[in-house]
Amino acid sequence: MSLASVKPVASKKHTITIEGLNKSYHDHPGSGSGNGDIHYIIKDVDLVIKGGEFFVLLGPSGCGKSTLLNMIAGFISKTSGNLRVGGSDIDKPGRDRAVVFQQADSSLFPWLTVRQNVEFGLKMKKVPKRDRRVVSEQYIDLVGLTGHGDKLPRELSGGMKQRVQLARVLANDPEILLMDEPFGALDAMTRRTMQKELVRIWRQTDKTIVFVTHDIQEAILLGGRIGIMSPGPSSKISHIYDIPLTYPREVSAAEFYEYHSRIQAHFDE
Amino acid sequence: MTWLKKKWAGLLLLWIFVLAAWQTGALLYGPEVIPGPVETVKGGVELFKDGSLPKYIGISFYRVFSGWALGSLIAIPLGVLIGKVDVIRHFAEPLLNFIRFIPPIAFITLFLVWFGIGEQSKIALILYATLFIVMMNTLTGVLSVEEDKVRAARSMGASEWQIILHVIIPATAPYMFTGVRLAMGTSYMAIVGAEMIASNEGVGYLIWNSRLFFRTDWIFVGLISLGLMGFVTDRLFGWFGRKVLWRYGVVGSTPVRR
Repeated sequence: MSLASVKPVASKKHTITIEGLNKSYHDHPGSGSGNGDIHYIIKDVDLVIKGGEFFVLLGPSGCGKSTLLNMIAGFISKTSGNLRVGGSDIDKPGRDRAVVFQQADSSLFPWLTVRQNVEFGLKMKKVPKRDRRVVSEQYIDLVGLTGHGDKLPRELSGGMKQRVQLARVLANDPEILLMDEPFGALDAMTRRTMQKELVRIWRQTDKTIVFVTHDIQEAILLGGRIGIMSPGPSSKISHIYDIPLTYPREVSAAEFYEYHSRIQAHFDE
Repeated sequence: MTWLKKKWAGLLLLWIFVLAAWQTGALLYGPEVIPGPVETVKGGVELFKDGSLPKYIGISFYRVFSGWALGSLIAIPLGVLIGKVDVIRHFAEPLLNFIRFIPPIAFITLFLVWFGIGEQSKIALILYATLFIVMMNTLTGVLSVEEDKVRAARSMGASEWQIILHVIIPATAPYMFTGVRLAMGTSYMAIVGAEMIASNEGVGYLIWNSRLFFRTDWIFVGLISLGLMGFVTDRLFGWFGRKVLWRYGVVGSTPVRR
């Protein structure tokens, strides 16, 4: 009986390990103001994100949180330091790390239907059509787009497009979801709905999520832990807040307000 | 319903105005200088009855279509390749921007020397006229594919080849379509030049040859034929774009990006 209670799935989950990570660029000597100086976008970032956790990267615009996320995704190469997912070094994109972009319009394939978008990764993997269909149906249902499978992205609202993005990456069964301000372009009401939906989907699928935002309220609504990034250049993770509140969280709760004031105070300093 | 009636009424009025202006010109300057609508129709019927007009239209269309289709088929893969591979682009772009300013007509003599007096030289000329327009448009399209799309595909496990096939090419379709459509126009211009200088058949030949008989009405027939040929092919092509390529963002008479 004790064996049955062991969860091997949980232990298999990949940890993201970041040690002394830097991203810098050189000024071009001779090009106006440049004099060959090294500029750091992010400097000496240390961070461990455990498998299955909902981690939020919070910071002002231009602080390099997207850069960090893109480095984990493998889109941008590091200058120095260590960046490992599940023990292996990250130097290119991989199916284990799915990315949900801020702009659904620029990342979805507008010539494909919702279903074809969701099946894209499976098609690239040459999964037979019938099997693809089963998986896509499942994730279209999961993100609440039942009945919209044959529509084109242009026929959907902003929130629905982000649901398509979510279904599209989940269909590939990634370890980690990397989300770059995915609700930033949505109206306030849709954003609230999507935040609730994301928490539901996260709890249902048990994925690791790294979520980038500049919205304190959004960070506290979603994150198990919140990493605060200092303003750029040379930004780093200046503080990590644990948010032990139970889901679903309510903005009106007293504890919520407490965390909000503390983090707000952190930025006001 | 009322707006439809209005649109048709407007069109009708426009055509009546054009015909009236044309007829007025003919009356003022005489049929030798400006043949009126009636003379032109008579000349057209004449050319139609002896079979030369359908034959010439057929030949010109055949030349334009083969050169244009062949040129597009070559230009699209080349444009994708140049757009996708940085090393090739660095070499090819200056060259492209040099050659594309040399009009097809300027090549006629050379093409006659290289490809002979027959059909090859004319088709090669159209091919040349098509090639650079379609290539430049495809290239521009490839360069303007959103990075997010490529990144999304890559992180979903697509290989570089799959990215070209399933992301770059469909995303570039509106640009290719515009290029191919524009190339149709330059092809008609090029063929007329070629047929005037080095041909015994075709609409260009008809226009040029009519000067020997001082048949300005035949010239008008040739001009109107060219206009109609271009108009009909462009409409057909636009219709094809709307019906078949609408998913890729090709809409109406002007392709737009979605």
